[in-house]
Amino acid sequence: MQLPARLQQVRVARTAQKRRLICQAGGKVMLEVSDLQAKVADTDKAILKGVNLTICEGESHAIMGQNGSGKSTLSRVLVGDPQYEVTGGSARFQGQDLFDLEPEERARLGLFLSFQSPIAIPGVSNIDFLRLAYNSRQKALGKPEVEPLQFYGHVMPKLDTLHIDPSWLDRSVNEGFSGGERKRNEVLQLAVLEADLAILDEIDSGLDIDALRDVATAVNGLKRGNTATLMVTHYKRLLNYIHPTHVHVMRAGQIILSGGIEVADVLENEGYEGITNLLKKEPALQTT
Amino acid sequence: MSLACKAGCLHSKSPGSAQLPTRRSFFLAKGFRLKERAAPREARQTYLAAARRSSAHRTYCQSGGGTSVSAREQGVEQADAPPSESAAPPVLPQNGAVSAAVRDSWVGHLLDTWADINASPDTPELLQELHEECGAALQSARMPNTRVESFRFTDVSSIIKSQPQVPEAAEGAARGMLSSHMLREDHELRAVIVDGCLDQGLSNLSGLPDGVYIGSIRDAPEEVVAMRLGAQATTKGTPFTQVNGALAQDVVCIVLPPGAEVTQPLHLLHIASGREQSVSLNSPRLLIILGRDAHLQILEEFCPLDSNQRECYLTNATAEFELAEASSLQHGYVNLESIAAWHVKSTLVNQAARSHYALTEANLGGRISRHDVVISQMGPETETTMRNLQVCGERQVHDLHSSLRLDHPSGRAQQLHKCIVASSTGRGVFDGNVQVNQKAQQTDAAQLSRNLLLAAKGAVFARPNLQIIADDVSCTHGCTVSDLEEDQLFYFTTRGIGAEQARKILVYSFGKEITQGFRYPKLEARLEVAVNDLLSNAGAL
Repeated sequence: MQLPARLQQVRVARTAQKRRLICQAGGKVMLEVSDLQAKVADTDKAILKGVNLTICEGESHAIMGQNGSGKSTLSRVLVGDPQYEVTGGSARFQGQDLFDLEPEERARLGLFLSFQSPIAIPGVSNIDFLRLAYNSRQKALGKPEVEPLQFYGHVMPKLDTLHIDPSWLDRSVNEGFSGGERKRNEVLQLAVLEADLAILDEIDSGLDIDALRDVATAVNGLKRGNTATLMVTHYKRLLNYIHPTHVHVMRAGQIILSGGIEVADVLENEGYEGITNLLKKEPALQTT
Repeated sequence: MSLACKAGCLHSKSPGSAQLPTRRSFFLAKGFRLKERAAPREARQTYLAAARRSSAHRTYCQSGGGTSVSAREQGVEQADAPPSESAAPPVLPQNGAVSAAVRDSWVGHLLDTWADINASPDTPELLQELHEECGAALQSARMPNTRVESFRFTDVSSIIKSQPQVPEAAEGAARGMLSSHMLREDHELRAVIVDGCLDQGLSNLSGLPDGVYIGSIRDAPEEVVAMRLGAQATTKGTPFTQVNGALAQDVVCIVLPPGAEVTQPLHLLHIASGREQSVSLNSPRLLIILGRDAHLQILEEFCPLDSNQRECYLTNATAEFELAEASSLQHGYVNLESIAAWHVKSTLVNQAARSHYALTEANLGGRISRHDVVISQMGPETETTMRNLQVCGERQVHDLHSSLRLDHPSGRAQQLHKCIVASSTGRGVFDGNVQVNQKAQQTDAAQLSRNLLLAAKGAVFARPNLQIIADDVSCTHGCTVSDLEEDQLFYFTTRGIGAEQARKILVYSFGKEITQGFRYPKLEARLEVAVNDLLSNAGAL
């Protein structure tokens, strides 16, 4: 009966209030989600049922959970997907109410979502797309926009890190790309845009071992003291490359357990049943 | 004189037909393929002379005896057509000489108005023959209305109610436009055609390979041109094609002998002048004859002389292309006419074995534009590619009717049609017919029509259709109609690109799949500006 003993060592935050105190000990609060509720706009089906999450600068969070538990919905609601409607709660990012901002304004503020299945945009080249996106962020930051030639200088080193062939730049965004190539392209965009909070929705799915290492190296290379990462994943293998400071478990639209990498160990060894059993034995660990 | 009209006369034992030479009767009895085989020129001239002499012939046509065949040939269904006199305002013949014999009052007006200029002694003999041939065909023709199947969605009544006059562009007026209408930065091979007439002074046709002729019909190699001029137009054209033939004041002839290749693209810049108070009509005509294994790239660009785009005019163009074995023609066609203009064009193509014809077109200008493309594959292993774009802004109708006929084994055909309707008052029409006949085994044909409707109540009528009789073929066709994809727009916004800008980029990229086929940077830039103007005027962004 080692597990409960180990888990007792897990840093558990039971309320958003308490999490904030922990944050203040570390970096500045970047994202603060309180009691977030959301539904699918078309069908009125409630997906998020009171999510609490606080992410501070310098932290890496991982959210794990079964299919349909609301992980991807949470990431999409945060970036403003019109498919979902927020029905309650709040989310503040960099001190601003996220739900007062349009999706493009959120992006310009430094929020980035790497999509689970990135869409193809025929006819728009990667280089044009990247430059447009980069320049909108530059403009928002009050910095000068860059010319095409200058922009190549900015992009080339990022291509090297990700082992991406420069010929990609002239291809249409994600058109004819394999699943793995699309994921790499998402990380290339993240690298170019230098976002403050990167939400990586199943960035590891569809990647082979080498590609996963490349992508993880790139993500780690982008970490700075004032940035943060939120990963949505099913498997611990990603967490072996990108070490999380916090691991959350989501079930039925709520975060039910928060801790360190140990939580991922429990999941890896015993599955979601392990988490259920644990919470039965130690109800005090439940966060909501 | 059209075949149709001749046929009508022949079969009906009229006094006019009695004067036809016997050799002619023999050909006519064989039906409409006569022109395809190119009747000997002497026979044709003899016949024409006979027709000129015969006043009874004209009277006969007027009485209606010779109408039915010609009407069917030209897609005009007599039974359905209301009397044209009710559609068009009555036009009293000015001198009565020509129009008195013509059924259609609009055509009557045109023939009268152009009578003097056509009778000018400067008109080359070949052109005179074309005038007479088409003028005679028009005697019994009616201009189409919306009850005619092929004009069901395109109402040309505004054209037919107009009273066009001869254009009056001042000499050299187009000089100032040249620098802003280049294909590339550097020197280019260029023919400037103002109101349908080649302007030698503004053109640059030097440095052509030996034996290649590019120029006016006035100096063209007569024996080659005489065989081909008007040969396709009589069997494949619409009534507008005949109108072009009856009024054209020049023909740009391009003749490449066997094995010749013009490496530089030829820019055919068509400039139309409008008139202040009335409508002007220009009739550009193009004839291209490629010898065996000859290769040519052309770009036809149509634009107004007046950049304010206020003047009203009608451009009625016809192009006939004859491709011999293993030759290739890359044909670019851009319609950037004034928004107040009408633009009608026929492109008629005969392709011999192993030849390759590739059309890339962008239709942006004009309140009504209509393009009829009729292609016949006349030998095995022949390849045809068509890429068409239509952008319909406010109160614009763009109509493309393409027809491709395959009669020989191992032919290939590819067509991608794209239409953007940016305004609730815009309308796109596409009828793409591909006929794969019994002998066209191992044909590989694909046709796709993609339509983007950006405004509520905007309409697109798309009818891609394949008629397959051969049984060992690979043929596909498809059609999509949609607005911009929400997912794509959202993807842009999550990268910080505003929704308005994202829409603009997505719309432009939709068309770019076609326009990037032009491969001329300066032209692409012009098109981008024109597309953006159309979209923003229509409020689609």
